[in-house]
Amino acid sequence: MSGRGHTRTRTHAAVSGTRQTPGTSAASLPLRILRYGRTQPLLISAIAVLLALVAISLVIIAVGKNPLQVFHSLLQGSGIVPKPRYAAGKAMITDFLGLLDAMTPMLFAALAVAIAFKAGLFNIGVSGQMLCAGFLATIIVGYSGLGALMAKPLVILVGLLVGAALGAFVGVLKARWNIHEVVSTIMLNYIIQYVVSFFIKSSYIDPVSRSSRAISSDARLTLMNVPLGDLSTRIPLCFLLAVAVAVLLYLLLMKTRLGFELRAVGANRKAAQYSGVKSSRTLVTAMVLSGACAGLAGVTYYLGYFNTIEPGNLTSVGFDSIAVALLGNSNPVACILSSLLVSVLTFGSTYMSSAAGISEYIASLIVGIVLLFCACSGFLQYLINRDRSRGRTLHNVAEGEGRDDGEGEGDGEAPEAGEGDGKTPEAGEAS
Amino acid sequence: MPESIVEMRHITKRFPGIVANDDINLSIHKGEIFALLGENGAGKSTLMSMLFGMYEPDEGELIVRGKKVNITSPAEAVALEIGMVHQHFKLVSNYTVTENIIMGREPLRRLLGILPYIDRKGAELKVQALCDRYGFDLNPRAVIEDLGVSQQQRVEILKMLYREAEILIFDEPTAMLTPQETARLLDIIRKLRDDGKTVILITHKLEEIKQVADRCAVLNRGRLIDVFDVASTSTRLMAAKMVGREIDFEVDKTAPVFGEVILDVSQLTVLDAQKVAMVKDVSFTVHAGEVFAVAGVAGNGQVELADTLAGLLAAKEGSISFKGENITRASVRKRTVEGLAYIPEDRHGVGLILDFPVSDNLASKAYFRPPFAKGPFLQQFAFRQYADTLIERYDIRCSKGALTPVRSMSGGNQQKLIVAREIDADGDLVIFVQPTRGLDIGATMGIRQRIIAERDKGKAVLLISLELDEVLSCADTIGVLYDGRMTKIAPANELSRNEVGEYMMGVQR
Repeated sequence: MSGRGHTRTRTHAAVSGTRQTPGTSAASLPLRILRYGRTQPLLISAIAVLLALVAISLVIIAVGKNPLQVFHSLLQGSGIVPKPRYAAGKAMITDFLGLLDAMTPMLFAALAVAIAFKAGLFNIGVSGQMLCAGFLATIIVGYSGLGALMAKPLVILVGLLVGAALGAFVGVLKARWNIHEVVSTIMLNYIIQYVVSFFIKSSYIDPVSRSSRAISSDARLTLMNVPLGDLSTRIPLCFLLAVAVAVLLYLLLMKTRLGFELRAVGANRKAAQYSGVKSSRTLVTAMVLSGACAGLAGVTYYLGYFNTIEPGNLTSVGFDSIAVALLGNSNPVACILSSLLVSVLTFGSTYMSSAAGISEYIASLIVGIVLLFCACSGFLQYLINRDRSRGRTLHNVAEGEGRDDGEGEGDGEAPEAGEGDGKTPEAGEAS
Repeated sequence: MPESIVEMRHITKRFPGIVANDDINLSIHKGEIFALLGENGAGKSTLMSMLFGMYEPDEGELIVRGKKVNITSPAEAVALEIGMVHQHFKLVSNYTVTENIIMGREPLRRLLGILPYIDRKGAELKVQALCDRYGFDLNPRAVIEDLGVSQQQRVEILKMLYREAEILIFDEPTAMLTPQETARLLDIIRKLRDDGKTVILITHKLEEIKQVADRCAVLNRGRLIDVFDVASTSTRLMAAKMVGREIDFEVDKTAPVFGEVILDVSQLTVLDAQKVAMVKDVSFTVHAGEVFAVAGVAGNGQVELADTLAGLLAAKEGSISFKGENITRASVRKRTVEGLAYIPEDRHGVGLILDFPVSDNLASKAYFRPPFAKGPFLQQFAFRQYADTLIERYDIRCSKGALTPVRSMSGGNQQKLIVAREIDADGDLVIFVQPTRGLDIGATMGIRQRIIAERDKGKAVLLISLELDEVLSCADTIGVLYDGRMTKIAPANELSRNEVGEYMMGVQR
């Protein structure tokens, strides 16, 4: 949209002489870089993170600690920077594999939110879908005593199917009866939370831990205590699967017919219908994909990162993933980076609180602040583009017609662009 | 020398990449109707927005009643007794007329001398008094969403009068009105002037200026071209000043050559989402090589009729046959593939995906088949190539070619994009709904010529328009929709302008 130098002008029968269009723009250079359309989402996310780090630093300074040291220990805890010393059998690599183990469900959950966003749906029920998939996989496969070669793929399959089924249910409610997915997924969250809690407490409780009984290690998607030289590490089997799913979803969205339909429905459902897209079917498909990702998040969380389910709780992963997806601008590949970042904050915080002497509460505050700023990325975008949208209608003249050489504003048919959808300067200003 | 109430001296306003107003000097006299004429994008609205405090000028000064002023917000403009009726009304749709009018200036009374409450009754009386004074037929207790466009506009006018505005700015007030409603509005404007108000009328319709305005200023691409007395200037000369060249108003049209029946609609009834019948028992046929134009006042079932033909709404009763095949229950996709092209009224809401680039929008009805897709996979190259071809062929101007986001394009070019997509699909029937709404004369004439060109190629054209001029200049056959019924169908040359107008108002049954 900006990028003034890229204008490909078509001069048109100039009317009454030429007029010099000012090349000078009101915007300063940094602002113009920020407004460059293609990289803007990335830059905005980076700014959101930066602002969050500044805000966190203020909090940390307020409690009398050194923010740099805190950030350093977060990285140490995540196995990205070495710690001064390690317990027996532990090293940087074991910490890092632990980080990937925590990140796997986060990435799946973020993909679930992102793919739904792309189709214009807000799947706020990722946590419930995770729990349902995790619970069913636990009782079907986790307690079955099947061998690892059978059990592990089966766990993934159950997660996928349960999530997809829940997604389909929500999608059909939306497509068939226009029941808003936010409402139905929140309600499903409660239903799943209490129903699962009931069954765990009545049938699957471990009297000591007050959680569900631990699943067999054959069914677990994370290998525990794997000897690696003289180290003993966990290995998240599904991490590469999550990355692959992210890439596949990206290709699906950008390079296939289904992806085109999905994005079209998300960007403008009516226009998609007008173009002949069956929007109901597309919505259901999007929710199935979203639910399937949430299901995978569920099994990698409850049958991977953990091996039990605590009754009566929904995990915060499903909710954090909303902000993670926003931070990644709903781009599946960018979600890999944003979920890595948030995982560093959550996973590294345990070590950070002991090393830097800050209570765990401050640690979760840090995560909260980052997610808050991520969620505000829309507002940041508004701030950056603000005075451009003020001049929007006239800007369009410049956009569509000879901007650089300033001739040929042929039939100056500009301002309607903004008026039709009520985005006139008046609409923005007078209200 | 008449007393000048508003004076603009060397007003300049820049937006990134463009000078919207360039060194404008104007003097508006007290008690006159001053018209501001210019094409879309000429800077008329911007200039008046500065008077109304929505923008501040970069250079120059504003003088109101002899005093230099600095208007930084609409509230300050209101304090200077300046009011504005925007093209898109700013009303709360589930509030009553009175509530909308008093909003922000609610007359308060105190119950038992303590508890403040809004004096609704008093306000209603005051609004009623204003209605009586200006002859508005308006119930102060009516809810906005139950009112028609022209009545809503009157509410906007009352809002200004309630605030005792002396300088009234109308921004394209007739854009959404029928000929009859327009005539009534112009009467109101005259009455306001006779009442001592100063009226500034922003428009690109020459007829209106000729009818009511005392003086007229012409803007072209941000510059003031001329100010003249309306009485002594011909419409043709005004048009030439406005666009900077002579404009041919006539659409060249040869006698039609009708071919076989392409579209046959029979006893069609359509319900809207609230189960209210919007199209009632409508029957008509469109032949190859014929422009069938549907005239009617907004909201009489036009959009529902077009949506049903395109497959976006389901028919309750009746049948639609296209090229001899019954398509009443066919999907949108099937109709598109069979050769039914549709240029919808709502460009932004229906016709385009604003966040998608030009290339995706141009291919949005064909993305699923070769060359755009091979199996399930899209061929980006084909999208790009097709877009480049159409951009060239239909002169769509977009700054970054095929990848320009449609949102950033001007309205005229967005419409050109839709027309290019639909016409290039080379179907047998093209449905145009309000194809020139909001476009300026140059773009409008381009689209109308395109309509005739399609007809001459032997296509069937269904043109649904609220603009009587458009219907009259393009139609071979005219059908009038009133209250969902096709009340009249006749060859265009057998109906006079007035007759069509009367059918549109439901006078002749």
